[in-house]
Amino acid sequence: MRKLIILGVGSALVAVAALVVAGDRPGITAQEAVVRDSATAYVLAATDTAQLQGPRQPIFFRHDIHAGQYKISCQYCHYSVSVASEPGIPSLETCMTCHTVIGGASADTATRNEIAKVRTAWNEKQPVEWVRIHTLGKHAHFPHMRHIKAMGPNACATCHGDVARMPQVFKVNNVNNMGWCISCHVERNVSRDCTVCHY
Amino acid sequence: MPDERPREMDRRRFLTVLGVSGAGTAVLSGCSTDKVEKLIPYLVQSEDQVPGLPTYYASTCTECSAGCGLHVKTREGRAIKLEGNPEHPVNAGTLCARGQAGLQGLYNPGRLTSPMQRNASGGFDPIEWDAAITLLAQRVGGAGAGVAAINGYGAGTFSSLLADWVGALGGRVVRWQPFDHEPIRAAGRQVFGIDALPSHDFSRARQIVSFGADFLETWLSPIENQRGFAEAHGFRNGQMARHVFVAPRMSLTGLNADQWLGVAPGSEALVALAMANLILSERTSAPADANALRSSLSAYTPEMAAQAAGVEAEEIRRLARDFASAEPSLAVAGGIGNQHRGAVELAAAVNILNYVAGNVGVTVRFDQPIDSGDGYGAMRDLVGRMDRGEVQVALVHESNPAYALPQSAEFAAAFAKVPFKVSTAQVLDETAALCDLLLPSLHALERWDDLAARVGVTGLMQPVMEPVFPVRHTGDVLLAAAKLVGGALAGFTAPTFEAHLKAAWAARAQDNADNADNAWHDALRRGGLYGAPAGPAVSLAANAAPAAWVAPIFDGDGAYVFAPYPSSMLSDGRGANRPWLMENPDPVTKITWQSWVEVHPDTAAELDVRNGEILELTSPHGTLEAPVYIYPGIRRDTVAIPLGMGHTEYGAYATGRGVNAADLIAATDGAGFLPYSSTRVSLRKVGRYEMPATTEGTPRQLGRHIVEAMPLPLAARGLTVRQAYEEQGGAHHEYNTEREVQALDGWTDKQIEMTQFGNYANEHPKWGLAVDLSRCTGCSACITACYAENNIPVLGEEEIFKGREMTWIRIERYWEGGTDGEALEARFAPVMCQHCDNAPCEPVCPVYAAYHTPDGLNGQVYNRCVGTRYCSNNCPYKVRYFNWYAYNKTAFPEPLNLQLNPDVTVRARGVMEKCTFCVQRIRSAQHQARLEDRPLADGDVVTACAQACPSGALTFGNVKDGTSRVAIAKQDPRGYHMLEDTNVRPAVTYLAKVLHRTEA
Amino acid sequence: MGAIAHDGMPREQTHAEVTRDVLATLGTPSRGYYLALFASIGMFLVGLVTFLILLRDGLGHAGYNPPIMWSVYITTFVFWVGIGHAGTLISAILFLFRSPWRTAVYRSTEAMTVFAVMTAALFPIIHIGRQWIFYWLLPYPNARFLWPNFKSPLIWDVFAISTYFTVSATFLVVGLVPDIAAVRDKVSGWRKKVYEICSIGWTGADHQWRHYTRGYLYLAALATPLVLSVHSVVSWDFAVSIVPGWHGTIFAPYFVAGAIYSGIGMVLTLIIPLRKVLKVEHMITDYHFDNLAKLTLFTGSILFYAYAMEYFVAWYSSNTFEQTTFWRRAFGPMWWGGWSMIICNAFVSQLLWFKKIRTNLTALFIISIFINVGMWFERYVIINSLSSDYLPYAWDQMNPTWADWGILMGSFGWFLMYFLLFARTFPIVAIQEIKEMIPMPRRKKGAH
Repeated sequence: MRKLIILGVGSALVAVAALVVAGDRPGITAQEAVVRDSATAYVLAATDTAQLQGPRQPIFFRHDIHAGQYKISCQYCHYSVSVASEPGIPSLETCMTCHTVIGGASADTATRNEIAKVRTAWNEKQPVEWVRIHTLGKHAHFPHMRHIKAMGPNACATCHGDVARMPQVFKVNNVNNMGWCISCHVERNVSRDCTVCHY
Repeated sequence: MPDERPREMDRRRFLTVLGVSGAGTAVLSGCSTDKVEKLIPYLVQSEDQVPGLPTYYASTCTECSAGCGLHVKTREGRAIKLEGNPEHPVNAGTLCARGQAGLQGLYNPGRLTSPMQRNASGGFDPIEWDAAITLLAQRVGGAGAGVAAINGYGAGTFSSLLADWVGALGGRVVRWQPFDHEPIRAAGRQVFGIDALPSHDFSRARQIVSFGADFLETWLSPIENQRGFAEAHGFRNGQMARHVFVAPRMSLTGLNADQWLGVAPGSEALVALAMANLILSERTSAPADANALRSSLSAYTPEMAAQAAGVEAEEIRRLARDFASAEPSLAVAGGIGNQHRGAVELAAAVNILNYVAGNVGVTVRFDQPIDSGDGYGAMRDLVGRMDRGEVQVALVHESNPAYALPQSAEFAAAFAKVPFKVSTAQVLDETAALCDLLLPSLHALERWDDLAARVGVTGLMQPVMEPVFPVRHTGDVLLAAAKLVGGALAGFTAPTFEAHLKAAWAARAQDNADNADNAWHDALRRGGLYGAPAGPAVSLAANAAPAAWVAPIFDGDGAYVFAPYPSSMLSDGRGANRPWLMENPDPVTKITWQSWVEVHPDTAAELDVRNGEILELTSPHGTLEAPVYIYPGIRRDTVAIPLGMGHTEYGAYATGRGVNAADLIAATDGAGFLPYSSTRVSLRKVGRYEMPATTEGTPRQLGRHIVEAMPLPLAARGLTVRQAYEEQGGAHHEYNTEREVQALDGWTDKQIEMTQFGNYANEHPKWGLAVDLSRCTGCSACITACYAENNIPVLGEEEIFKGREMTWIRIERYWEGGTDGEALEARFAPVMCQHCDNAPCEPVCPVYAAYHTPDGLNGQVYNRCVGTRYCSNNCPYKVRYFNWYAYNKTAFPEPLNLQLNPDVTVRARGVMEKCTFCVQRIRSAQHQARLEDRPLADGDVVTACAQACPSGALTFGNVKDGTSRVAIAKQDPRGYHMLEDTNVRPAVTYLAKVLHRTEA
Repeated sequence: MGAIAHDGMPREQTHAEVTRDVLATLGTPSRGYYLALFASIGMFLVGLVTFLILLRDGLGHAGYNPPIMWSVYITTFVFWVGIGHAGTLISAILFLFRSPWRTAVYRSTEAMTVFAVMTAALFPIIHIGRQWIFYWLLPYPNARFLWPNFKSPLIWDVFAISTYFTVSATFLVVGLVPDIAAVRDKVSGWRKKVYEICSIGWTGADHQWRHYTRGYLYLAALATPLVLSVHSVVSWDFAVSIVPGWHGTIFAPYFVAGAIYSGIGMVLTLIIPLRKVLKVEHMITDYHFDNLAKLTLFTGSILFYAYAMEYFVAWYSSNTFEQTTFWRRAFGPMWWGGWSMIICNAFVSQLLWFKKIRTNLTALFIISIFINVGMWFERYVIINSLSSDYLPYAWDQMNPTWADWGILMGSFGWFLMYFLLFARTFPIVAIQEIKEMIPMPRRKKGAH
């Protein structure tokens, strides 16, 4: 009997969990509350990252400055997002195209230190090991290019949130929950065939 | 043993190449996506790698001497699949099982990771590359003319560099491969005065007679042969060529023949000569100079040939007349399985036969001679020189004589007398194990190289990825050593082999008076240089008379002739450490992972043995034991064992499995070639039993009409299979009653409607497959292709015993006849998921893991599957395979895991899997089409099996599009559905095999 | 087996005697009882360990040789579901038919039913590839909008089994209430408290009896159709498929008969020794066994007919696949299984035409063992149809391993453990129903 009870209770819990997870999908509004305004965020030092949401990265790379203030298009760094299933992580070479000359304001030592990290990494030919934030189950195939094609080059925020306002990127939407995909596919009335993603 | 040594690779370096490591091997798990995962970017973004998209590099296959062209599919900087190069004249986009398994040579767990030096205790210690090269230089410098090299690599820049290098020192290189075709070359000299291996154009032949040549397996250029054979022998427009196989044992080639003449071993030449004689005397249009042969041929009457061969004289007459009347025809001879002491006479006789039939220059061509090494004779000399202590330094490159040569050649003993032995083997093989210094070389996919497989066709190789292990190109090693030695070797100034190669090609380009740079890039893109040089005019040599035929001598006084033959999977044994090849069932016997001895049913009855019972074979040269496989396709007086097994080294997959058939044969030098099939053996029942690791249940169809066939005349009349069956007196059989059929009308449409949503509706293709059984030869290339494309795990012998192989596509081989005097006929049919419209597996799945997709696929959602396995019970084709254990964790030991295709989920324990029609290819093609705002075109999607098939037996496409190749193929009257009775409406249509019997 | 009452009918007793004798079964048990109990717990542990190993490594340990994807586990599953049916038949249907002889045995058979279903319910979980997500078989709302496939017989199973368990368990518990009360009144100490709670305040008041009998009647009516439905559903696990040897319209009735047959077999196996161990020979007598045996004979004969029909239809269909399957059943590599099924079920049951055998408990016991074995083999043989279906190339043989036997043994342990514990804790013979059968004292001559 013990075995049955354990299995039974376990299943009940998982079922409930599934429901909860499904319900938990903060919209854009919820997200603005947690994101600081980039103007104030500008003076953030690497040491402050602890108070920010999301995992701490080896280098305090700031999307709010690059994508927010300087309006660098996402695809400048995530170069393959419109052609391949993988968005593409910028190579250090890409960083260095600017940061060979841009070293940060002389006053702002915090920023200078961070940029210095990039340069040393480049000189020592040591790639930076970023902490991955958005990960799908390996049994699901997500073709980024099809979504960019369908929803335009600025559709990133739909899943990744308003990254341009995040000093440190964090997971806004539970993208690795199938409910997230399905609800959108239902709204937009596009395929819900399993083998579109699972193969 | 390399297997004990830690095989730690520099992960970091790998990932920097890999880029998004997450995109690497997709492993199915619940939803465990919250564990911290690293994203490691490229340092420098390589121009031609886009994460998520494959990049193809042209290269050349080195798995046999044919030198087929490759397209190497790479993802995130690692090679994940080998495919044929469509531009290449030899294989034209297709690739055989062995060629595809080359990938497992690259990622072989047994690979040596660093140079090794023999230590006092007899083991090996790793050393630094510089130290190793210095050591080599010292010994070589001292040895001078005492340097000898064994080079198993084909003609090309490297081989000439090695030859020059050793030559400069005064030594010499023996370029040798176990399966040289010396008898054919000798016969060429003898009959035409041309010292070369001809190429053969099977596609034009209307009548093909093979005197034991296994041209579909290992003979000369197998894929080219198969492509031609399928063209000629495949049924089209009411006609097809006829293929007769004349040999004591039916090889896979024999099983694809319309008639088998099981002649006595050694008597094949007589049959050929008798045919030639007959043709010459009856035919007026024979080449004029052939008449010179009349007198010398007249002795060989059909009667005397028939008497010696043990067949009907009438058979030979009919054969000769068919042969002459079919224009052009083609006779081929040789083949390791038939290489007895009369092999040269046989090849010569066949040359004469082809000549008098007017085939020389038409189907037998000397304009693109196939590369052949120095031959066994040279090898024998070298062994002699080593034995006499004339060799101080021996260098062995891509060759494994210690395994491939028979024990009686006493290679090991002679080799031991060489003071300093160097091997460049990538895996510690039998020969390397005897060496003092190991300088592991790069795999062909990691290095710059070229290969001149035949005159006019030179394949180019480029590094398609970072080397898996920090080993060095032997070319670079030679050049580096040369700098240290100086003196005689001072001339070798090229900094690297790459530079040397480019220089050589630049020189070549100059010859062509062409812009060197363009030529180079062009060659790099196309995978090599493909020219069509004009051949010499071929005519009979002055003294072309066939040597008076003498019955070849067989050593020993055993009751049975021993015929070791090359395994179509393992070739000369180099395939034995490739799990894909070991688990790919032998096309003839369907046995995996084992050796076996083939005996005729009657012989088995005499000896009172069953399948799997161990027999002891004793020849004057040795003794070995192997389990019995009872095979109706072999003469009563002959027994056969496949070569390639029985390794004592060569990695974990190969070591200690089966027996090395070469151990039984004589090493005596029969006119420059190794007479494989030249011994007699006596058989003894040992009384032990070994369970055969076969994937086959029952080899008979039991009248179930699974693999249909129809005689040529009926097929030519355009009858359907059923009509032909009734025509031949078969009872009329109503497959499904009207009501059964009506009951399902519109079922598919309903299925599809139910799965359509909004704008997704009505734009679905319906995927289908057509399999032409008159082209399928059972070669099993499709199986390896499927393993490679779909990350199918290799399970090993133990699981095969339980019938648990995972191959998504299998070749079913059924016997017809073969009993009480009836001719034996083999029927091959590739069986994969039939993607039924009325699929029995779908309704029984409790969780919709098996369901029907809108584009007519029978979907299998791994991550939804709970593993009740009802779908498999209810599948009439039994094409669903279950993960009994966590194969995804055990089947891909590092670095084999790097071969995995990131587009396909690696199935975890407890889920069902099956053929998906390569849905990942369908999806990526659809993505691409959508990005380019165009509809899918026919041919945009090709399944891995169809792509690899050298016979072009498989056609895949959208059946809704009436103009697609598959839709047209499905219209063929030969088309039928397997197990029509079950009314499951498969998406796979089989086109019945066509039998070209004598009476046709 | 020893002296039992002369004429077979239970010896008339006073109500007091009945209560006393029945409650005696709850007294300190014999050593034999403990041996049996610990043996069964041991067997259960073997099964548990086996299951944990399967959970760790995967089902590969079991004797699955594709194309045989189901094997001993499903065999045993069907076996246990079948066992259950006799209980409901006796306790519910015979109750509705007012057949007096059931009273002495129905309590034990009903307990057997509940425990058998509990055992069977384990197997769908044990045999699937990913046991930890078995709950995907249940319909529950989720974010993925995914539901089970109600077309699948396996889902029908889930519902059939759970329904069957709920109903038969309720039926058992309700039937127990008055007896528990009787126990409560006799015992003392902490046990009294326990029984008090279990007897949910039963005082035996008139209105309680009125509701009780009415409720019991309805429950009986509710349970009755399940006897037919549940095993029909189970039979469709096979009949719905297209596997030759499974794909038969005869399956539902054939399986129901088989179920009752096997169930009664198990009843006999259990109560023949039990009545001895618990010393209630004078309550469960020849009279009962005779009737049980008749029922066995009846269902056994139905099976006989069903077997014959299967072979006939296979031949008559002139369908080569069906014919091959049945030919191999009789003369193939598994011939011994096929014949042991036919002999144990079809032929052995025919011995019960003789009253001598029906009332000879030793004979009955042996026969009941044959029945259990035979019925297990029946399912084994039916499932083995998988070994040779459409494509000869794919044929293979079933080959059970330690993992199969381990789980099989465990299931018996699991079942017996509960049964024995039950027999010790609750009246194994229904006190109040026995009393009902006793004529009113006043009409009784020579009361002591």
